[in-house]
Amino acid sequence: MHTELEHSRCVARLLRELPDDAGRPYDWHEFQRRAQGAPAAAARVAGVRALAAAIVIALAVLATAIRLGAGPRPPHPPAATVAADTAAPAAAGDASPAERDAAAAQYWLERLPREPAVVRVGTRAAVETLEDHIAQVDDLLTTERAGSAPAARLRVLQRERAQLVNSLVQVRYAETLADATR
Amino acid sequence: MSRCPLILTWSLVLMAGAAAVSCRPTIALADPPAAKDSADRAADEAKLDEQLEAARKQLDAAARQVAELTAQLSRPVIESFTDWDMDGMHGRAIIGVQLEATTGGQGARVREVSPGGPAAEAGIRTGDVIVAVNGTEVKGENPARQVMRLMRGVKPDSKVSVRVLHDGTSHDFTVVARAAPGYFFAEFPNFSPGLMPEAHGPLLLHGSVMDMELATLTPQLGRYFGSDKGVLVVRAPADGALKLEDGDVILAIDGRQPESGSHATRILASYQPGEKLTLRIVRMHKTLDVETTLPARAAHKHVATGESHLHRVVPMPPLPQVMPLPQVAPLPPVAPLPPVPGADKTMALRDQA
Repeated sequence: MHTELEHSRCVARLLRELPDDAGRPYDWHEFQRRAQGAPAAAARVAGVRALAAAIVIALAVLATAIRLGAGPRPPHPPAATVAADTAAPAAAGDASPAERDAAAAQYWLERLPREPAVVRVGTRAAVETLEDHIAQVDDLLTTERAGSAPAARLRVLQRERAQLVNSLVQVRYAETLADATR
Repeated sequence: MSRCPLILTWSLVLMAGAAAVSCRPTIALADPPAAKDSADRAADEAKLDEQLEAARKQLDAAARQVAELTAQLSRPVIESFTDWDMDGMHGRAIIGVQLEATTGGQGARVREVSPGGPAAEAGIRTGDVIVAVNGTEVKGENPARQVMRLMRGVKPDSKVSVRVLHDGTSHDFTVVARAAPGYFFAEFPNFSPGLMPEAHGPLLLHGSVMDMELATLTPQLGRYFGSDKGVLVVRAPADGALKLEDGDVILAIDGRQPESGSHATRILASYQPGEKLTLRIVRMHKTLDVETTLPARAAHKHVATGESHLHRVVPMPPLPQVMPLPQVAPLPPVAPLPPVPGADKTMALRDQA
């Protein structure tokens, strides 16, 4: 009995030592105040869900791309590419998917304003780098065409141009997206 | 060089974009509750703004990485087609058009206009026929080659007068030629193997300058800021780089007058890191000249060379961190049930038993 009594006193002491706000229920007004914060919490949860969904989609795209063979592959010198293309020249109207995408992309680019209202120097530098490279490839294509270069050589440059234009679209899309959330 | 990093980088762009967009609805949906403490609300908004800014930075970093990797991938191809003896390493003047012979033999037909290139900015369109460059008529055999030959006499950044035929009508354009990208190699102590090809041009800009935000002055903005021309500094570099402040108007960079934010970026990119420059600015309605230096990248050495065998595979730099998930506010605690009458007695009896 004595031990039990000591135990009860000990528990009672521990209970008394608990901080006030841990055990005390809040009133209706306090509940209302906290409940009004719930929409913001729900919105945040929605934001988290959107982000999680985006991550899942991005990972799925990445996994599919790697599976389909767009993943890591060994680099090959341009000379080898030219030789291979010379052996099997592509038909004039046989544009690769990248080239077809680039044609559509260029159409989209032409309709964009020259620059966003507020230019972020970092992103703009990326845009200008790609634009300069495309202009250089166009210059080389003129030289090659004027020198009656074989079609295979032109195809190599056209493919490179398509790759650059597609990247430019991605970077300009990122720039537009960042500007839209300003 | 694999194209996988590009896919990975673009995935990060998507994620950062989603994060940036997902932050906005949170702000819009968070209807300001009447009873909510305004200080709490301000703190929440500041936190969201911080997260949005972080997402923008990630988007910016990913975009930059896409550009760097694409430029790196295309470099060997471009190099293999470049005539180093004719063009040199630093690039010659280009106007950004693809030309071909016309069926009639008069002039060179514009087959493609480079997006964002000098010709596109001047207003030249696909299908136009270039009939004269700087007053010299383009005629006879191989007009495209003639235009290329005429362009060899033009220096980068100089104005080129181009006459074109559009739907049978003659139009004159002034095109500001640009230098074709040249190739530089930088040595980085933190990279092994040691030689890293580095793009020449806008990608040489780095550090806090990358976060700088610029806007082209409109007449209304110009009245407010005390200038009718120049580029407004919406956000100056955070660490005081370039000695600029928010609200400054850049009138000139070493005498060159920027006409837009893009133009200012291009002018700044024409300097090497560590190079000195003078900015003419308007600050608090007063014009002043500021002598400053383009921030230098940490310990590196430029080696200008045209030899393609120096290319090495560059290790992938660390990808930007994905933004941490926003904190979810704790749900309100459930109020404890009121004590049941007589429960104490029941418990005591049970203990005794």
